[in-house]
Parts: sequence; C-alpha cells; structure tokens
Amino acid sequence: MRMLLTLLRKDIANFTRNRTALTLTFVVPIALIFIFGQVFGLNRKDTGPIGIRLAVVNESSNPAAEKLVAALQTETAFRLVTDEDKNGQGKRPLTEADARRLIHDRDLRFAVIIPADVIPENGFGLRLKILSDSRNQIESQMVTGLLQRTIFTSVPELLGQSLQTRAKQFLGEGRFDRFNTTLAEAVANTYGGDKAEIQRRIASGDFGLSALASPTRDSASPTSANKNSAASALSNLVKIETEQVVGKNVRSPEATRVIGGQAIMFLLFAISGSSAAFFDEKNAGLFQRLLSAPLTRGQLLWSRFLFGVLLGLVQLTSLFVAGSLMYGVDIFGHLGPLIVVCCAAAAACASFGMLIAAVAPNSQAASGLATFVVMMMSATGGAWFPLTLMPEFMQLIGKFTIVYWSIEGFLQVLWAGSSLLQVLPIVGILTAISVAVMTISIWLLNRKRIFE
Amino acid sequence: MLQFTSVTKRYGALTALDDVSLTVARGEFFGLLGPNGAGKSTLMSLVAGLRAPDSGRVTLDGVALSPANVAARTSLGVVPQQIALYEELSAEQNLRIFGELYGLRGSLLRDRIEEALVAVQLADRRRHQVKTFSGGMMRRLNLVTALLHRPKLLLCDEPTVGIDPQSRNAIFDFLEQLNREGLTIIYSTHYMEEATRLCSRIGVIDHGKILALGSLDELLTHLPFDEEIHFPATPATATLASELTRCGELTLADERHRFRPSADFKLSEFYRLTEAQALPARLFTTERPTLEAVFLHLTGRKLRE
Repeated sequence: MRMLLTLLRKDIANFTRNRTALTLTFVVPIALIFIFGQVFGLNRKDTGPIGIRLAVVNESSNPAAEKLVAALQTETAFRLVTDEDKNGQGKRPLTEADARRLIHDRDLRFAVIIPADVIPENGFGLRLKILSDSRNQIESQMVTGLLQRTIFTSVPELLGQSLQTRAKQFLGEGRFDRFNTTLAEAVANTYGGDKAEIQRRIASGDFGLSALASPTRDSASPTSANKNSAASALSNLVKIETEQVVGKNVRSPEATRVIGGQAIMFLLFAISGSSAAFFDEKNAGLFQRLLSAPLTRGQLLWSRFLFGVLLGLVQLTSLFVAGSLMYGVDIFGHLGPLIVVCCAAAAACASFGMLIAAVAPNSQAASGLATFVVMMMSATGGAWFPLTLMPEFMQLIGKFTIVYWSIEGFLQVLWAGSSLLQVLPIVGILTAISVAVMTISIWLLNRKRIFE
Repeated sequence: MLQFTSVTKRYGALTALDDVSLTVARGEFFGLLGPNGAGKSTLMSLVAGLRAPDSGRVTLDGVALSPANVAARTSLGVVPQQIALYEELSAEQNLRIFGELYGLRGSLLRDRIEEALVAVQLADRRRHQVKTFSGGMMRRLNLVTALLHRPKLLLCDEPTVGIDPQSRNAIFDFLEQLNREGLTIIYSTHYMEEATRLCSRIGVIDHGKILALGSLDELLTHLPFDEEIHFPATPATATLASELTRCGELTLADERHRFRPSADFKLSEFYRLTEAQALPARLFTTERPTLEAVFLHLTGRKLRE
C-alpha cells in the first residue's frame, strides 16, 4: 500500500508541475464549455442567432408593411438594414437590387423584400420574398425559421387588410362602409365595447386573427393541434418566395460549406506540430550548428516560415482534392482564386506556428498552447458553428482569428464563385495578419535569445 | 590567429566570462579545461559568433567575430557538445545540407562528402538514417560535418561526451591527424586526460576567468612540487606516513598514500625515514602530478566537483 501511495504521489506531483497537462485538462475544456454554452444559449435570455444583418426592402406603402418591419426590428436575432448612404449622397431606402448587391458583396446574407403588392389587388393573401446567401446551413435554417415566425405573427393583420380590400372592391365603398358599421354594432351589442373603436379596428383589418397564429409557438398546449392547423391555414395564404442569391449553382453545397473550416483547423494543428519541432531542433543543438554557418537568424526564421507555408499548401491541396474526389466539391472551376486564398491562409497559419514557438517556453508547452488556441480559434472563428449563434462580443473576437478569414476566403471562392479580384480584400487581410504575427514572432524570438 | 582582448560576457547577474584575454596561434591544438559552468561554452559561442561580448573584442586574423559578421563564419568549423544532426536523415543528407550552408556545390561538395565519410569510416552507412547509428558513429559524423568546408579554425565543444573509449580514441586520432595537417583546433573539455593527450597548450578556466595558460609542463610549474610519491597504506607504513605529514601534503585514497613533498623537502630525508622503518623500495612509486592537481591547486577544488 505504501508503495502504491508513493507511486500515486509521484504521478500527482508530475501532473501538477506539468503546465501543458494542466492546461489541457482544465483550461481547454472549461473554455470550450463556455463557448458551447454561449452558442447554445445557456443562461441567456434569447437563444439562437444574434445581430444578423438583415436587409429589409419595403416597396409597399401599406401601413401594415411598416408593422412587419417594426416586428422584425424587435427580433434580437436581426440588425436591420433598411437604407444606405451610397457614395455619400445621403441615405436612401434600399431597393431589391441594392439588397442583391449587398448579398453578392458579402455585406449581408439575408434580405426580406416586401413588394409593392404585398397585398394583391386581385386575390386574397400576402406575397413576400426572402433573398439569401445560405453559405452556412445551420444559420440559414435558423434565420429562415425566425423570419417565417415573425412574418406569421404579423400576418393576420395584413390578411385582415387583404380581406377588407377585396370586400371594398366587391361591395363598393358605400355598401362596404355600411357593412363595417353594421358589423361593429353587432360586435358591440353582443360582446360589449366601444362601437367606434371596433369599427376602426375592423376597417384597419384587425379581426383578431393574430390569436390564431401566435399560440402555435407553444406546441405543448392542449389545443395545439387546432392552433397548428390554423397556422397551417395561414401559411397557405402567405406566399413566401425564397431565392438563394449566392451559391445556388454550387455542386456539392453541404461539403462546400464545411470543407474550408475543417481544412484550416487541421492545417493549424499540423503547423502547431512543426512549432513544437522548432524546440526539438533548438534542444538538439542544431540552431547552434546552423547559426555557426554563414547564415543569419532572419534566414533561419524565414526558412521555417516558408516551410510552414509549403506544408500548409500541400495539406490544403490534399484536403481539397480529397473533398473534390470524395464529395464532389468543385475546386477545378475556381483554381486560380483558390490557390491564392490557400497561399494566404497557409502563410497566416505558418505565422501562427512561429508565434506559438515564440511564446511557449518549450516543446511540450508549445503543443499544449497550440491545441488550446487552435480549438478556441476554430470555435470562435466559425469552423464548428456559425458565428452569429454567439454573443456579439464573441462574434467580434472571432473576426480577429485566422480561422474566420480563411473560411471567408474559401467560401468566397468555392461558394460564391468569386474572382481573384473579388477575393483580394480577404487575401489582403490574411496577408496583413501574417505580416503582423511574423513581426511580433521574430521580435519575441530575438528577445527570448532562443538562438544563444 | 584568434585573439580575445579583455572580453567580458554577462547573463544578468552572472558573469560568464570576466575580462578574458587570450591568444591562440595558427596550428595550435588549444585546450580549454574547466568544470561545467566555468565559461567554456560561452567562450566557444563568442568565437562561433553566436553571441556578442558585452565588452572587449574577439578577432580571427584581425577580423572581429560577432553575430553580425556572418561572412567570418566561413573560416570556422563548429562541433557542438550535442549531436547536432538531423536523425531522420541519412549521413549523406546531413553532410549535403551543412556543406551547402557553407556554399559548397556540385562535384566539390560530392568529393568532400565522400572524403568525410571515408575519413570517419561511415562510407558504407552513408544512406542509413542517423538515428540508426551508434553513439560513436553519430559523434564521428557530428565532427566531420564541421570540416566539409575546410575551416581555418575548428571549435570542438566537449565532442566526446557519452561515447565508448574506442570511439573516443578514433576521434582523438582523427583530430590529431587534422592538427598535424595544420588545422588550428580549440578543444573544450572537463576531462583532463583529453586535454593532456591532445593539447599543445591549455587554458584552465573557472568562474569565467582564465586561471592559467600554457603547455602541460608550464602548467605543472604552478605546483609547489614536481613529483608525487605513492605507497600502500599498511600498518608497516603507518609510522612513515605519520612522519611525512611534517614534510609535505599527505592524502589517502583507495588504500594508498599520496605524498606531495614541500619545496624544501630533501630526498635524503625520505631515504632516512624508509630505512629506519626497514621498508623495501618496491613499495614506492613516483608519479608526475596531473592537470587535476594543477586545477586543485589553482581553485581549491577538484575538476569534477
């Protein structure tokens, strides 16, 4: 027993003095639990996406359309964009063409078009259009669901108006007014209330139909079956036309959506391995031997960076080719821009590997730190789930990661089919990240006297 | 050829080299002897241009050696203390990489690699991964890697650590041959046997200071005695031992007495004492003192303490 306790004490002492083991055991899981908690809305009032930019084009002069816009505005999931100041000429309301352009330009991914004839002259019901760039399937499904929920909550009033319009056309103005007056009198006499107010509400199309729609969200209630039927009836009256503006011709949408995120995550892991090897080389005295040859520290560091880039390119190439062969991801149709984005992403990842080597004190710590940072970057950068499912501060953090910009680049090429010119801004950002991170890394490595 | 002029190097509060001045002439086999942490590796790294001195100057043929002077390193060959080789690669690949770093190309590089492999008896293992080599083979390759570009000065920082005596002797033979061919060598070690065998001149270093400098004979003049007298510690020699404590320094190790006579001690006195005790001459041997004794005398402690 004493032997057992001695050995146990040895293991505990070894473990508690190993910072890498401690980080991987406690810090990584807790940090990931926090991120998952944020994604799934644990301890948050509003679950689901937050702050998704949604263009709303209101071409209708009908006051009820304004109410639909107001209803969308109350959704925390959306940050509405209703106008724009193009070329500094003052703000003007968005048109459908503007919305399409904004989606094409990646400024936003969803738009709701309320057409001028939202309530058709010759028919009963509503007509709406949703434009989307569903580059992220989960986000897309959630947003479409939220839009439909909001629309159906506001729809009854719009339907009432539709009914009123049709009745006025059919009866003529005089008979229509008499009909409304008689109806208001009957309601007031039967249920009580102010006759004038009831008549005003009837004239505005408010027949209390919303009571049919809103409870459908509570499917656990005893009468949910009836209410769902009512909502179903409403949905038949509302024609929502959805149009995928970007990526509709993508050959293998599911694989195309995920391949970029997975590729960049695995690349970061591979590069991390090479930053741990940096220490092995130092510990083996190889730096001393290399630097006693006529070469500079800068040449040594840049050669490692170039190796990282090359490793990255080979790995990305093999992953994309595998994605193409196994899942039909179209890479050959976008070869030029894809290679450029791959180079930029590989450079950014290689610089990350150098930073890990500069910050970590040894090989073990480098592995632990890299695992931690790669997982954090993958989680917050959108490799695992959409950024919009996280609180806004985490969305902001995510935008400072290599993962986010690499995924953006890959989707821009493979999903949106962008040209080389169109992906240049993302390539520029990735290049800027590489330069900044390499500058910091070289400064830190020289300060650390790793070569002495 | 190599000159240290008042060189000081500090790491924070620790002074690794303290006002060191030293000259190594062309063709010399210069030994740097000192315990671990004495400043040997720091001195070597200053020559190799891996570090810059805080004050003073290190020059090779009048050219300052520093991390900034990359070109000067073509004159140097460095054999680090560790086996600094890429173990996944073959012997030939390692030699090719380091040869190319020194600017060797084409047939010249091929010839030098061939010569190097033959010289250290690794020609038949040229395509084998270094990780499959024995410690001695790795050490030999480690050494020859520093010679491909024909340096003027070879720096060997404890190049025989952890190898068997046979491989050590092979390395010694090789280094001696190189030195005979004119190569200047600086050899750092904490093994006095190595310094004694190889070096024409030795610098004894401790706590960052050169305590003594010269050939083995010159270093031994630092000692207050020339020879040591050894005899077994037995009851028969007990009285003699007791008497000798008045005449010099007597130490006991491994059941043998070691007597270092004081400067004024006369041999006739020793004969008188042995005759008085009727001790036969065969019990006594005389030995020349070693570098260990020099180090002990200079620092008050043993080399490996």
